[in-house]
Amino acid sequence: MFERFTDKARRVVVLAQEEARDRRADAIRAEHLLAALYRVPDNLALTVLEAHSVDAEGVRADLDGLRDGLGPADAQALATLGIDLDEVRRQVEDTFGEGALDRARGRARRWSAGHIPFDRGAKKVLELALREALRMGHGYIGCEHVLLGLLNSGGPAQTILVARGARLDSARVIVEELVRWRRAG
Amino acid sequence: MSDATKVAAAASSRDPAVGLAAVASLRGLLESLEELQVTNARDQGWSWQQIADVLRVSRQAVHKKYRRFGF
Repeated sequence: MFERFTDKARRVVVLAQEEARDRRADAIRAEHLLAALYRVPDNLALTVLEAHSVDAEGVRADLDGLRDGLGPADAQALATLGIDLDEVRRQVEDTFGEGALDRARGRARRWSAGHIPFDRGAKKVLELALREALRMGHGYIGCEHVLLGLLNSGGPAQTILVARGARLDSARVIVEELVRWRRAG
Repeated sequence: MSDATKVAAAASSRDPAVGLAAVASLRGLLESLEELQVTNARDQGWSWQQIADVLRVSRQAVHKKYRRFGF
């Protein structure tokens, strides 16, 4: 499936796997693809997002909120119960070493899976990326098509992007223009 | 408002979004701590029965849950 991917789009797929592993997820999900898009410099998806004034830091913060382990959102929620997550983490790490609390969540998953599969949502994003590329008559799948796939995928990644100001229709128009310019240039 | 008052106010919030999020995060913390402590107990040679007794669950339940860890 990846033979028509550009080098940068392949890089996104590889980095998405890294994101999933770092976040101790049991599968590569659409949100890992989104996080990976931000890690590949100078790609057209980022140009499209900038054109929509999507705040990169904001997206990263939203993605952190989806983290599998215990993140800032959990710390906030636990504080409403009078539990100081940072203090719990500190106590646990004093005894069991750094990252012990977070490592515990990841252990079972690492055991069962050396290779992390794509979940249905991520597969859908890649299929939609292919469909967008074909529809536009582009002979390759680039980061920009992955972004269009994300904007049409119906998952949390789409929710984040839309909440931050990105829109599928205008993104399609911008992608077609950018590719036309690039070809003309 | 002092921290303690703030916590008391949040804990008594009738907003389901606040209360349910706290329960979900508490469950996440519970699972993390349980996994950590079960792993530690197994590392120290505890039997499933011993672990189950202290956790106050059945031996089958704890074994089924942690079998996938590979110990």
